Amino acid sequence: MTALLSCRGLDAGYVGGRPVVRNFALELQAGEVTALLGPNGAGKTTVLLTLSGLLPRLAGEVELGGTALGSGSARRAARAGVVLVPDDRSLFTGLTVRENLGLCRRRGGVTVDDIVEFFPPLGKRLGVTAGNLSGGEQQMLAIGRALMLQPKVLLIDELSMGLAPVVVEDLLPVVRRVATDTGAAVVLVEQHVRLALEIADKAVVLVHGEAVLDTDAAALRADPAILENAYMGELQKA
Amino acid sequence: MQHIGFLLLGLGNGAVFAALALALVVTFRSSGVVNFATGAIALYAAYLYAFLRKGELLIPIPGLPKTIDVGGNLDIVPAMLVSMVAAAIFGMLLYVVVFRPLRRHSPVAKAVASIGVMLIIQALLAARVGTQAMNTPAILPKDFWNVADLRIPVDRVWFAVIICLVGVLLTVWFRFTRFGTATRAAAESEKGALVSGLSPERIALVNWAVSSGVAALSGILIAPIVPLIPSSYTLFIVPALAAALVGNFTALGPAIAAALIIGMLQSEIQFLQGQVDWLPQFGLIQLVPLAVILVYLVLRGRPLPSRGAIIQQSLGRAPRPRGLLVPVVCSAVIAVIGLLVTGGGIRAAVITSIIMAVIAISTVVVTGYAGQVSLVQLPLAGVGAFTLNRLAETVGIPFPWAPLLSAIAATAIGVIVGLPALRIRGLPVAVVTLALAVAVESFWFRNTDLNGGINGAPVGPPSLFGLDLGAGAGDAYPRISFGVLCLIVLLVVGIGVALLRRSRLGGAMLAVRANERSAAAAGVDVARTKIIAFAIGAFIAGIGGALLAYLQTIASPDSFTAIGGLSLFATVYIAGATSLAGGVVAGVIAPAGVLYALLDQAFSLGSWYEVIAGAGLVLTVIKNPEGIVGPMHDMVDRIRARFAPPGAAPPAHEPDEPAATRPERVKPEIGEELLRIDGVGVRYGAVVAVDDVSFSVREGEIVGLIGPNGAGKTTLIDAIAGFTPATGRVEFLGSDLAGRAPHRRIRFGLGRTFQGIELYEDLTVEENVAVGREAARHGGTHTADDRDGSLLDRLFDVLRLTPVRGRQVRELSQGRRQLVSVARALAGQPKVVLLDEPAGGLDSTESAWLGERLRAVRDAGVTVVMIDHDMGLVMDVCDRIVVLDLGRVIADGTPAQVRADPAVAKAYLGSTGASSDSASAVTG
Repeated sequence: MTALLSCRGLDAGYVGGRPVVRNFALELQAGEVTALLGPNGAGKTTVLLTLSGLLPRLAGEVELGGTALGSGSARRAARAGVVLVPDDRSLFTGLTVRENLGLCRRRGGVTVDDIVEFFPPLGKRLGVTAGNLSGGEQQMLAIGRALMLQPKVLLIDELSMGLAPVVVEDLLPVVRRVATDTGAAVVLVEQHVRLALEIADKAVVLVHGEAVLDTDAAALRADPAILENAYMGELQKA
Repeated sequence: MQHIGFLLLGLGNGAVFAALALALVVTFRSSGVVNFATGAIALYAAYLYAFLRKGELLIPIPGLPKTIDVGGNLDIVPAMLVSMVAAAIFGMLLYVVVFRPLRRHSPVAKAVASIGVMLIIQALLAARVGTQAMNTPAILPKDFWNVADLRIPVDRVWFAVIICLVGVLLTVWFRFTRFGTATRAAAESEKGALVSGLSPERIALVNWAVSSGVAALSGILIAPIVPLIPSSYTLFIVPALAAALVGNFTALGPAIAAALIIGMLQSEIQFLQGQVDWLPQFGLIQLVPLAVILVYLVLRGRPLPSRGAIIQQSLGRAPRPRGLLVPVVCSAVIAVIGLLVTGGGIRAAVITSIIMAVIAISTVVVTGYAGQVSLVQLPLAGVGAFTLNRLAETVGIPFPWAPLLSAIAATAIGVIVGLPALRIRGLPVAVVTLALAVAVESFWFRNTDLNGGINGAPVGPPSLFGLDLGAGAGDAYPRISFGVLCLIVLLVVGIGVALLRRSRLGGAMLAVRANERSAAAAGVDVARTKIIAFAIGAFIAGIGGALLAYLQTIASPDSFTAIGGLSLFATVYIAGATSLAGGVVAGVIAPAGVLYALLDQAFSLGSWYEVIAGAGLVLTVIKNPEGIVGPMHDMVDRIRARFAPPGAAPPAHEPDEPAATRPERVKPEIGEELLRIDGVGVRYGAVVAVDDVSFSVREGEIVGLIGPNGAGKTTLIDAIAGFTPATGRVEFLGSDLAGRAPHRRIRFGLGRTFQGIELYEDLTVEENVAVGREAARHGGTHTADDRDGSLLDRLFDVLRLTPVRGRQVRELSQGRRQLVSVARALAGQPKVVLLDEPAGGLDSTESAWLGERLRAVRDAGVTVVMIDHDMGLVMDVCDRIVVLDLGRVIADGTPAQVRADPAVAKAYLGSTGASSDSASAVTG
């Protein structure tokens, strides 16, 4: 089975600085959810920014469906099907929910109704400006906006930022459904590790810019000690 | 009734201001450029139109024929269409060539580029068509409607109606079309637009075309009403900027309304000037935009909306002058040689350069050091010059007292200029200073009651102890002795400003420029520092103006215009507004300076010099958006580094002393309660960031504040230190802190650091920490006496910073930077210090080392509250830990208690099934 997205030898970081992430490799399959885990400052967000073209690559190749993906153009990446949901969500807060979604509408593509099907609470809020939504609704809108672009690869950064665990528990299964129903490969950066592992197929653990673990999520669910050794070391040490 | 007639007459100008304000808003929203060239674009379109009606196509490009015959006069509609389309294409060209390359740069760099474009257009048209007024046939019906006694000018009403319609159309376009929605979206979040597959650059391009077209329309429609002269149209930008500011550079409706009101008030004032004897005959009209801005600022002032850009850039670094002797001697020798070997016009240019350098240095102080964009420095110099005329000629005050007093007069005006800057920051300050510049110029320099009328404002030669220091006359002009006088003034000003840069006050200015929040956190009185910067800048400018008056033997309005001020600011910015060297270079390349004189002699440039200067400005800004002196400093640094003795740079971490030799620590007893947080809450709109948090901190404790991302930890610290409005009660040393400004809380003994560290990159370690001492200096009883400066020594010793005291912080490792940040907070001798992620960016060895240092800090008598994500560090050094989740305290206890608490584990790791009550109550 060939990978939908494959990335090899990726160095990522800010231009002019040291690479934050070194020699990173990743293979994503259609319809699978990959949890990208690691302590604060490990470089997870940097990886997502680089894959989505918001940061230029410092080194390495990324292929999407067998064709090379250009570096450093977020717009081209988005059009090619690699879509990021940023950790700050970057919603257009002065625009209504319908306008936010409508901007990303493609001819003959996903409709607003399709998005409401994934996130029913948005259905009643279509005329409300994004800034007046609750945190959970904003996150739904951010993911919904990304889905309007019919992503092949959906990158979600810190889905739970500022959300109550109950809200996160409701949202994550939808992410699972998105992957299964649309066939998108989803990469999830998430600090609620156990919640993320519940819905993930695979997990990659990043520590200090290097991937220290790349395995099936089921294995980590079965034996939490593996993960704790890889990443929660500091908490254990204390 | 007559009043209403005149008010309606003002609709004509008001409509132009409104259209230009529309164009300004559209341009700013889509590309973040405050386009000073908007009025010049309208001017260009008006000329195009006027020539087309005469059957000629105006070609502004030098080298080509001035006009091409288009075969017969064009009618109104085709001529208008051609002109507007040409302007729209010109606008797109401007975006692609000038502003797109600058899209990642600071708003000031973009504004400077637009000033350059404005100067080019104005100079180009002046060179091509001359400064003679040009008449254009009427477009709108010229008759009057007579209603009762009232004569209503039909063309003005039509004009206003057309512009209002354009405003409505634009509003509809932005609200209901897909492209309009995309424009609003990209203005709000560039990152959001990019991840949504939109192209902010294409959006900006179309908006530039639209805004230039609107500007062109207004230029064409006003041409039959206001005679076509290059300078008058360019200055339409000032009331338009005022109106756009009322719309906060985002809303079209308020901007149009404000513009029409400005136009009508101006017309009414013009009428009143003819009716009421005691009204001044000059400058009142130009005061209207200023008055509108000030009223608006008093009612509600807020910074321009940031455009959610991905990269924000500063003004560039302000290097600390190292040795004074070498640059002083070198520049003195060069200048003296320059004075000796030249004569006549060239020597006058050398002296002009010296004087312009003085005025440029005033911009270095205000803009380069304190970060306030002031476009009024040249008119302030004019205040010095015109006051000198009065003091020396009318009152008879001798040299050197007359120029000094004149500079003090300029200082007084400078302080007034600075007052609005207390409420606003960034480019609105520039708009206010420009409005003031225009007002000062027309109210004072152009006022025949104040400027000496037909005789002008002569200024006699200065003399000291019977020695004539004047510029001389006839063949002797200009005399070397006067040049030497100017040079001495420049050197004194330069040395003074260098000392200022090294002083505490200079540190405070750079702190304000870098970040008003962190400056306040260091105990700096931000308002006072800004005003002092404006005062010092105005004083220096006033001195420069007096010298210029001596050189010209007259205070001449043309030397101190608002447009000249714009151009001088742009020159200083390009030369490098952040350093003394930049000021001197600005003097050399300033109009009428040495460079100009030499180029003019070689190529007889004449009126083309301004075009070339404008083009040079735009090119330099694109190549070096932070000025040309910056790269020079980098080069000097590299050369110094090459010649520095090997091994001069100390290692990032010197090994800590072995544990055995450490003195036995005596852990201080936990004392009484110092800080009590009682029911504190912070809301941002619908989001509750901090919800009813209570805990207290006792003397000698290290308290950890932990929680997952977004738990509200930093917001809570902001609330405690007064950086965000909060409900509830914060009690410190027994008194309620409600209503105290951040710098007052800091001075009261409550220090803090920031998550992003927020050091002043250009300052040395010692200077950074010294800024923090502001707090202790103004502090109350909590500060110990520190006359011998031993506090800093002890501080550097405790934090192991002694070996790097003299280095610039940008050269330091992340770990050291964190310590400098802590040291700065401690320098204010706080009783309690709030540390926000002191171990951010450190690896585990470094953070363990930091933990040691924090204990040492506590042992030295400072109580510590720290946020950190490094569990190892927090569990290790803290006596007590408060855990926040979703804005609420979910645990409070010793590290062992917290570690064992299941609620904490859940907050960090999340769990399935069980839901927490406290959590679900907060969001929803």
